[in-house]
Amino acid sequence: MTDRKLSVAAAINEALHIAMQTDPDVILLGEDVAGGGARDGDDVDEMGGVLGVTKGLVKAFPDRVLDTPISEMGIIGTAVGAAATGLRPVAELMFMDFLGTCLDPLLNQAAKLRYMFGGKARVPLTVRTVSGAGMQAAAQHSQSLYWITTGIPGLKTVIPSNPADAKGLLLSAIRDDNPVIFCEPKTVLYASGPVPEGDYEVPFGKAKIVREGSDVSLIAFGATVRVALQAAERLAADGTSAEVLDLRSLQPLDEEAILTTLAKTGSVVIVDEATPRCGIASDVAALCVDQGFDHLNTPVKRVTAPHCPVPFAKVLEDAYMPSAERVIAAVAELS
Amino acid sequence: MGTTAIAMPKLGMTMEEGTVVEWPVALGQHVEKGQIVLVIESEKNEAEIEATAAGFLRHVYVDPGEVVPCKTLLAALTDAVDEPFDAETFATEHRARYGPEPAAAEPAPATPAASAGPAVAAPSPARRPVAPAARALARKLGLDLDAIRGTGPHGRVVRQDVEAHVAARERLVEVEPGVGLEVLREGEGEPVLFLPGFGSDVSSFAMQIHSLRPTHTCIGLNPRGVGGSDAPEADVYAVERAADDAAAICDTPTHIVGASLGAATALELALRHPERVRSLTLITPFLVRSARLRAVTEAWARLAAEASPEAVASFLLPWLFSETYLADDTARERTLRGLAPAVARVPAATLERTRAGLEAWSGRRSPDDLGELRAPALILIGAQDLLTPDGESVGAALPHAHTIVISGAGHGLAIEEGDTVTRAIREHLASVR
Repeated sequence: MTDRKLSVAAAINEALHIAMQTDPDVILLGEDVAGGGARDGDDVDEMGGVLGVTKGLVKAFPDRVLDTPISEMGIIGTAVGAAATGLRPVAELMFMDFLGTCLDPLLNQAAKLRYMFGGKARVPLTVRTVSGAGMQAAAQHSQSLYWITTGIPGLKTVIPSNPADAKGLLLSAIRDDNPVIFCEPKTVLYASGPVPEGDYEVPFGKAKIVREGSDVSLIAFGATVRVALQAAERLAADGTSAEVLDLRSLQPLDEEAILTTLAKTGSVVIVDEATPRCGIASDVAALCVDQGFDHLNTPVKRVTAPHCPVPFAKVLEDAYMPSAERVIAAVAELS
Repeated sequence: MGTTAIAMPKLGMTMEEGTVVEWPVALGQHVEKGQIVLVIESEKNEAEIEATAAGFLRHVYVDPGEVVPCKTLLAALTDAVDEPFDAETFATEHRARYGPEPAAAEPAPATPAASAGPAVAAPSPARRPVAPAARALARKLGLDLDAIRGTGPHGRVVRQDVEAHVAARERLVEVEPGVGLEVLREGEGEPVLFLPGFGSDVSSFAMQIHSLRPTHTCIGLNPRGVGGSDAPEADVYAVERAADDAAAICDTPTHIVGASLGAATALELALRHPERVRSLTLITPFLVRSARLRAVTEAWARLAAEASPEAVASFLLPWLFSETYLADDTARERTLRGLAPAVARVPAATLERTRAGLEAWSGRRSPDDLGELRAPALILIGAQDLLTPDGESVGAALPHAHTIVISGAGHGLAIEEGDTVTRAIREHLASVR
């Protein structure tokens, strides 16, 4: 095992390198994923996407990293078609907020082809997309819309909280024969952590206990795992032992892990960066009440964003996002 | 001007609820402080409750015959007969301050609270919250949620409350690996260990324990298979083993009180572990079981396997109590009601195993064996006892024994002659000092 540390962005970049080395059918496409770096006779250090995640890939795989026009409908439509006809594309949807302009190829084509062709079609598509608030990118570039893709049968949605999972989940996503939405939360993207060398996959539908505890279960994913861990640390100082479960995969969902931690602690607080209505937090809460009723020792609590657009002003954006303080306050309401 | 509450008292450590038997004072009548204002019954025992203050019996919340948890508001006295008094408000305030929490499953009262008169003015049926985990655990353990105090927000009963309740009520003491016996402790002072008779639990000593707990540490031991005690697989629950179990929970010399088979256990304890015994109180003891006792225990075990606890209790009544006691309809019905739940705490398998132990022990100890015993002993005998008629021979065999024969009393002395038995024990304990 290595103690080599990478950022989530670098871990994603490494996963893309490995995927492209091991499978010639893997291509990248998106706005500025090559960033002009492929121009003949030009040794300019290419941009590698708006946040630099795909930097260097076009040099290694000049024919397989494609800059696209600024048209999400074009990117995703092309990618779905490429996937259905034999390639294994990784499309970058610069911000998840742009989902609205390209939903049809995902909702009505990618998600349905395998089903409607009796299993004879396959759509090995990965859509990488940056989600969430925390960069003062305002209401149109800060949303956490994974609840939409999670709710569409035929799509898988995963969301890492750390670099090691980012690498392993992305390799699983690319090698999956079904369309996968891979979310990259903004506040997680530059967090660094240990990343194993080489080629490995993190399986879908397997949540992970990232902190053991006995009094209350904090269920988190993506950016809120760090928030839950901070809260757990402070709760421990006050004598409350909080367990933190990182879902990692929203669809498929590890129901067993959720119900197991509920059975252990009897109390659940779900921490979700997204808005509260029809969301993952509500979905997990419903599971706890439906399947885990006899284990519930307290009401199920949700800590989410409010039902409103993400504000631009920093002080408002900070107040909008789930914080350790809000998690601690929710836990305090339980006893 | 002021209002005084009369609530269901908690008279013994096993008492969770009580029945209102009678209101000797008419509604609107004046009572003096110390005057008997209420008669209640709990687990076979009747108790007269004195008014804690003078006043007029202004409102009665619970009618005779109703069973309610301890602490439930039963009636209100007011200083003046005509001072303003709102029965419902007083009940709500009382419950908020003293409990009990209204039962979760309590249905809404059929009669509107506004209807006048003492008939039904039930407390407002605020639903007490119970966490699903607490409800599931209570269901699994067969516990009554109404008896469990809620410590969560809004008085919610949470899982920890059920666990604490279990821990408090069932302080199982491990007497050998894997065998925990239910030991109830109450009071402060010299230890007194109570050993119940065949097929009984420590609730049969409720009156004695209630009376002695201000001055003594009362320890009630439920034998193997009784109440919450473990019931290890065995063909025989031997008296000798029961005595060793009792020895295991006495770490200092202890006053031992045993009734019937509990007296046999006490004798065996004194013979096997004399250093643990400070004094003996043997209620209706025997050395050789009578043919009738064998027949009754046989029928008891068989009935317990085939009939309801109520049927078992009604079968037992004529064998346990005297002619005089049975002639009193109130006493008979009350005892029957109290006996049934106690009987239900002893399953048929326990009765069979204990019966085998009783049979094996019968005749094993001779009067000569008892001659070794140094501990001062009190022997209490009922003159009309049908089941253990040779009690006096036990008293004669013991070198330091004082025997009291209670005339007109049956085998169930601790219940039938509760006060006399308590007084005699108290004097005996004092004389040992």
